[in-house]
Amino acid sequence: MRKEDTVKLISAEGFEFVVDKRAAMVSQTIRNMLTSPGSFAETQLGEVTFPEISTTILEKICQYFHWSLQYASGKESEFHIEPELTLELMMAANYLHT
Amino acid sequence: MGGACSRKRDQQDDEETLQRGVSARYAKSGSSKWLATSFSRPAIDIQQGGGKCPSLMDLCIQKIREDIETHSKFSMLPRDISQLIFNDVVNSQRLNDVILEAFRDCALQDLNLGEYPGVNDSWLDVISSQGSSLLSVDLSGSEVTDAGLTCLKDCKNIQALNFNFCDQISDRGLEHLSGLSNLTSLSFRRNNAITAHGMSALTGLVNLVKLDLERCPKIYNGLIYLEGLSKLESLNIKWCNSITDSDLKPLSGLKNLKALQISCSKVTDSGIAYLRGLQKLALLNLEGCPVTTACLESVAALSALLYLNLNRCHLTDEGSERFSELGSLKVLNLGFNDITDACLVHLKGLTNLESLNLDSCRIGDGGMANLTGLRRLKCLELSDTEVGSNGLHHLSGLTNLESINLSFTVVTDIGLRKLSGLSSLKTLNLDVRHVTDSGLAALTGLTGLTHLDLFGARITDSGTVYLRNFKNLRSLEICGGGLTDAGMKNIKDLTSLTLLNLSQNCNLTDKTLELISGLTGLVSLNLSNSRITSSGLQHLKLLKNLKQLTLESCKVTANDIRKLQSTDLPNLVSFRPE
Repeated sequence: MRKEDTVKLISAEGFEFVVDKRAAMVSQTIRNMLTSPGSFAETQLGEVTFPEISTTILEKICQYFHWSLQYASGKESEFHIEPELTLELMMAANYLHT
Repeated sequence: MGGACSRKRDQQDDEETLQRGVSARYAKSGSSKWLATSFSRPAIDIQQGGGKCPSLMDLCIQKIREDIETHSKFSMLPRDISQLIFNDVVNSQRLNDVILEAFRDCALQDLNLGEYPGVNDSWLDVISSQGSSLLSVDLSGSEVTDAGLTCLKDCKNIQALNFNFCDQISDRGLEHLSGLSNLTSLSFRRNNAITAHGMSALTGLVNLVKLDLERCPKIYNGLIYLEGLSKLESLNIKWCNSITDSDLKPLSGLKNLKALQISCSKVTDSGIAYLRGLQKLALLNLEGCPVTTACLESVAALSALLYLNLNRCHLTDEGSERFSELGSLKVLNLGFNDITDACLVHLKGLTNLESLNLDSCRIGDGGMANLTGLRRLKCLELSDTEVGSNGLHHLSGLTNLESINLSFTVVTDIGLRKLSGLSSLKTLNLDVRHVTDSGLAALTGLTGLTHLDLFGARITDSGTVYLRNFKNLRSLEICGGGLTDAGMKNIKDLTSLTLLNLSQNCNLTDKTLELISGLTGLVSLNLSNSRITSSGLQHLKLLKNLKQLTLESCKVTANDIRKLQSTDLPNLVSFRPE
């Protein structure tokens, strides 16, 4: 995959997730960051840092991004959420408009 | 996402209520109304599979719903998220007094617990812990008492409170609300205990915009306490049958009043005179009041009036010339009055009318000529009148008509041709014994029809072929006895149907059930008095949306239906035999 087709999502602890840009755009917040006019660092570097999202949660979110792309292409499966992550994941989903 | 907590505070739209009264869409199947209302708490199960991809938020909420018992506290979440969770556990009926505890101190804004089972005073503690965040609380139908209401005293920002059908609340409970001066909406429908004394607590609610005291029979002499509520726009005192003329006097200064409903009270013409100065009044509902045409003099002074309901009053032709002064009216209900064609002459100029109800008036063909110019009419109710085919001739130019009720009139097949050009028609009630297949043949151009009532019409299998044109039909009733299984081939493809009533067609057999088994949108099905048997029930398994099933006088027992309900029809809430 070409670099411009991916985006780097960085967790609070500094862990980097490189994901398909199309998948990350499932989040309205990320979409806005990457497509807004002007020279936001996010737009230019293709990198977004989330100082308030832990690595565990960001990983789960990346899983969701890919799951929803598959879902859209007709491959419907169940998305598993660990009970202990639910509330934190929900706050992140709220922030990401996902 | 931010504004995710949708605020449906208004329990009922007055204007909508009135219009429903006028159009009487389900005149016959009165019972079908609840299909859309009483069970309206949306079941929002997110189906994984099929349809739109659920958002991560949806999935999280669903997960929380699944293991709600394991959560003991939500107060660390941002308010809008805990509000979403709260709404979801209410809608999915998972909330109980134990789970409620987890929502303590969540700064929730809206607690819509109307008609929720099990709500009592013990819930008020958590409810009031939302403190100054709390904006609306609906506890209608609950066991809450006066003591419970003390808890709300400190929720100073509350704007909307609903205690409809809370029969354990009395004057003392109202006193506890007297300091909630931010209230804009307050509702206490059907309360037998509230008296004028309790009403005195309302004097401080200076921001009140909407007050609903429907069916509070003891509030007479209490309206005096509303005198200073200058922001009041909507007052509903329907069915407060002790209200008399003098009670209306304090309302005369409420200049912002836009909607006033005093149906079924003792108010007479002289009481209406107190309302003359209400220049913003757009809706006046006097249904069932002993008023005569003499009240029209006062009514004519209401320059902003759009909706006037005079159904079941004491109107006669005498003095009816005053109607001509009500030129701005959009909705007029004159049903069940002793008026004749002579009165209709004075409606000629009411060209803004969109809805006119003349149900059971002594009117006939001659009077219809006066309606020819009412080009904006969308809804016309002529049920139980002497209107016949010659009268319909005058209506053929009313091309904006969307709904017309001709049940129990004397129209015949020939007259129906006059309706063939009314291409906006959506609702047509032809529950008329003289209407037959050939009448239906004249209507095939009305492809926009969504509701067709042929209850008593003599429709046979050969007539059903014309139904094929009505692909948008959502409700259909044919109960004249002339149908057999053969007719179903023309009904089975009407896949928009949600209500189907084919009762009284005693020749229908299980074959009919088989043929209509693909009408999966059906919410209500009635095949009473037919030859349906219990072995035919298997064909209903696919009708997953079915809420109401009526099979009286068939070879089907309540147990047969119950079995089907438990295995295949989870949404079935009402069935007969029961």
